[in-house]
Amino acid sequence: MKRSLVFLFTLFLVISLFSVAGAQDVNNPDTMVEVNMGTINSLDPHFQYDTASAEVVDNVYENLIMFDKGDINTFLPLLATEVPTKENNLIRDNGTTYEFPIREGVTFQNGNPLTPEDVKYSFLRALIQDRDGGPVWMIYEPLFQKGSLGGVVKEVLGEEKNPKDLTAAESEEVYAYLEKAIEVTDNSVIFHLPKAYPPFLSIIVKGNGLGAILDKEWTIAQGGWDGQADSIAKYTNPTKEEDPLFSTMNGTGPYQLVEWVNGEEIVMSRNDNYWREPASIKKVIIKLVNEWSTRKLMLQRGDADIVYVDKQYLSQVENMDGVKVITGLPNIYMGVGLMNYNIVTEGNPDVHSGKLDGNGIPGNFFSDIDVRKGFLYSMNYDAFVNDVLEGDGQQGKGPIPEPLMGYQPDSMTYNFDLDKAKEHFEKAFGGELWDKGFELTILYNTGNDVRKSAADMIKYYVEQINPKFKINVRGIQWASYLDKLIAHKFTLGFIAWGADYADPHNFVVPFVSSDGTYGGFKGEDYAKFAQKNVDPLIEKGISSTDPAEREDIYRQIQKQAYDNATDIYLYQPTAQVIMRDWVKGWYYDPIRDPGQYFYDLSK
Amino acid sequence: MIAYIIRRLLILPVILFGVSLLIFSMIMMLGPYQRLSTYITDPAQLKGVDDVELLIAKYGLDDPWYQQYGRWIGGVLTGDFGWSESAGAPVTKAIAERFPATIELALLSLIPVILGGVVLGVISAVHHNKIIDHTIRIFAVIGWSFPSFVFGLLVLMIFYGVLGWLPPGRLSNWATEIVRSADFINYTGLYILDGILNLNFSIVLDAIRHLIAPVITISILWWAFILRITRSNMLETLRKDYIRTARAKGLADNIVVYKHAVRNALIPVVTVAGQMVLGLAGGLVIVESIFNIRGLGQFMANAAQQLDYPGVLGGALYFGFLLILINLLVDVSYAVIDPRIRLE
Repeated sequence: MKRSLVFLFTLFLVISLFSVAGAQDVNNPDTMVEVNMGTINSLDPHFQYDTASAEVVDNVYENLIMFDKGDINTFLPLLATEVPTKENNLIRDNGTTYEFPIREGVTFQNGNPLTPEDVKYSFLRALIQDRDGGPVWMIYEPLFQKGSLGGVVKEVLGEEKNPKDLTAAESEEVYAYLEKAIEVTDNSVIFHLPKAYPPFLSIIVKGNGLGAILDKEWTIAQGGWDGQADSIAKYTNPTKEEDPLFSTMNGTGPYQLVEWVNGEEIVMSRNDNYWREPASIKKVIIKLVNEWSTRKLMLQRGDADIVYVDKQYLSQVENMDGVKVITGLPNIYMGVGLMNYNIVTEGNPDVHSGKLDGNGIPGNFFSDIDVRKGFLYSMNYDAFVNDVLEGDGQQGKGPIPEPLMGYQPDSMTYNFDLDKAKEHFEKAFGGELWDKGFELTILYNTGNDVRKSAADMIKYYVEQINPKFKINVRGIQWASYLDKLIAHKFTLGFIAWGADYADPHNFVVPFVSSDGTYGGFKGEDYAKFAQKNVDPLIEKGISSTDPAEREDIYRQIQKQAYDNATDIYLYQPTAQVIMRDWVKGWYYDPIRDPGQYFYDLSK
Repeated sequence: MIAYIIRRLLILPVILFGVSLLIFSMIMMLGPYQRLSTYITDPAQLKGVDDVELLIAKYGLDDPWYQQYGRWIGGVLTGDFGWSESAGAPVTKAIAERFPATIELALLSLIPVILGGVVLGVISAVHHNKIIDHTIRIFAVIGWSFPSFVFGLLVLMIFYGVLGWLPPGRLSNWATEIVRSADFINYTGLYILDGILNLNFSIVLDAIRHLIAPVITISILWWAFILRITRSNMLETLRKDYIRTARAKGLADNIVVYKHAVRNALIPVVTVAGQMVLGLAGGLVIVESIFNIRGLGQFMANAAQQLDYPGVLGGALYFGFLLILINLLVDVSYAVIDPRIRLE
């Protein structure tokens, strides 16, 4: 009996050794398997607005121009034959006209040829679709100085009206207004902007689905916008269910969709009729695996070539055989502690008594600059970066992250200094705050440990300054967190912003403008301040075509944010990518991250 | 018995209506901003929202609850269970796509669980307080107390990570390509069965290879549970007078145990097995996550987490339907096992 057991155990070990050794060969040389945990939201390039969907769109559809291998300052032509510049006169009329000569001989995956009409149709379709929560707002600003189709409707009709309720006649009026912005001449497509908008090329570049070019004939056949002027109401703001391109694709890109099993995997095959050299990898499979241990084992076995790894698990793959770990990649992203200048106190337990009586905070608690500065000096930024982010990041220098225009490595920032924090807390509310103390609750959305750690850290240090200061930290579900933000009931909330396009305008508007996505949450007092001090600078920055002048303006905005202690610019994290060492040709693209462009990869 | 079954089936819609109304009211207790989180899953998505109130109106989140419920139930009556935002598909499609994976895993797990549990339970009871009984009981305690997320990971690490024998997922990439091709007919969505029906045994083997690890993980827990129930019932039955009488009559020990005692001891086991089938067919979030199986457990967990009420309600109706059906089967099984029980 004992002998048999020893024999079986030895056999088990020998097989184990052979199995591990076998796993080191290049698996499936023609197939690239990426395993991540991002759920694909939609395959419609004009609907999707998340990294998982964008990755697929980026490999199947193409835009007019692209970045030169992740260099956000250098554009290359893609479906256009030239990148518009002032020098080649394709940008003219003081930066208000952009001309794109369209490449000939390109076909969509269904065999239809690409025409300039397809390009015009694609942009108009995006503008008409403009779904709530989608990406199309980005193109409304340069083309119409508006934030949405609703804004254009108001401009054209002179009254607010839901685009879904437009009559045929109203639709024609609105369409005529939209159509004026995009013109087709011979083999070119010309965009007419009401005024110069320097980031225009950065917005329509590859990596941003709203600039993806569709096949007009095919899209109409699928049930997409029919190309008619009077049908805006029917095709605008669809739900996923109503969107005919939700689960089907036909682009000019190097890969075509084979099958999407929502929540499991998506399979793409090489487009052998691609207008450039066909890709090296024949088949791409992107699998959704939520469980980290399973993803890790798939990487270890070589069944996965590229795997999404959270920072907290990096140490588990760093010394894994045959695995390449690339860290410290500059991520254009900013994590911020947002202070609400006018908290709604009614029915809000997080302000406790709702008064400055030592048992709560008044609604205008964060309107006092000394309170804000007190909090800013109470954050231990170095400890946060080193311990919470494990060194993979840096303290933010203001709303603009590295490497965008306006960012300076030596900008003034708040450092961890409890003496200065005390000094400001003593001055706050004319000294009343220091005498009476306060109690507030900071919320974070459960599951986000980084935000929890930031809140805990603030609690720990602020409570040390004065025993009458009391901070509670409470985790709530995302649904409730969203409710608190929209209803202006949060006190100090942590939030983040990743780049939609590579320009500082994409960061200063949401964070510090009076009606920005997050600026708008900060209340009336902040809006008044921003309207006077920040909005004019933002307007100047986006209107100027002189890079030196723009640089100076964005530095001024960074300084305004510092001088007025508008927010806690907590961290700009770095990104990481983990892959088998047999993956070749990889390069980092901060806008596309964490998605991959499989065309450039090989095994 | 047939009248009883028909009566039970007729009650089904009433119970399902009650369940849906209850769950719907619970979801409606959350405000429209909270329920907006179904569509806005990240704060940054708010940048594309012109007016939050318009977005709430678009999905009818601020309509009175009876209107929202009316819309949903009206759809159900026409066979439209709504759109599941969390699954990105109509609810019926989302459930139908995940059902085969869950049911295949459940059916395959039942075999070792029931056979192993019952047989070992009987052996353990027959050899009460002997070494074999102690050994089985120790394994049962270990199995019952081992959390499935630990045991599942252990199985995956050894049999996939080290040995490479039992990979996660339902099929290998090459096999997935075959079953999704036009040449392969998906009769049931159960790959083992479909492989047999298509006479493609490489698919059958590949599907079995992928199912072994999750089945082991599920079995180790439920097997211990069934074993303990069987053992305690057998011990009780073996002490009954009629067993003593049977022995006194000089019947062989095997006949006393396996013909007279086991049958009577099985009734509580059937009840528990019914609950077990229900648990398995409802999907197992942890096992599905570890072994990367796109099943109903994950679907329902995601729907609940994202406040996706059509998804939650669809899942609840499926589960309610299953509950009633399985309870009915359990009742029928009682009558089959014990002829004295009459269903009226």
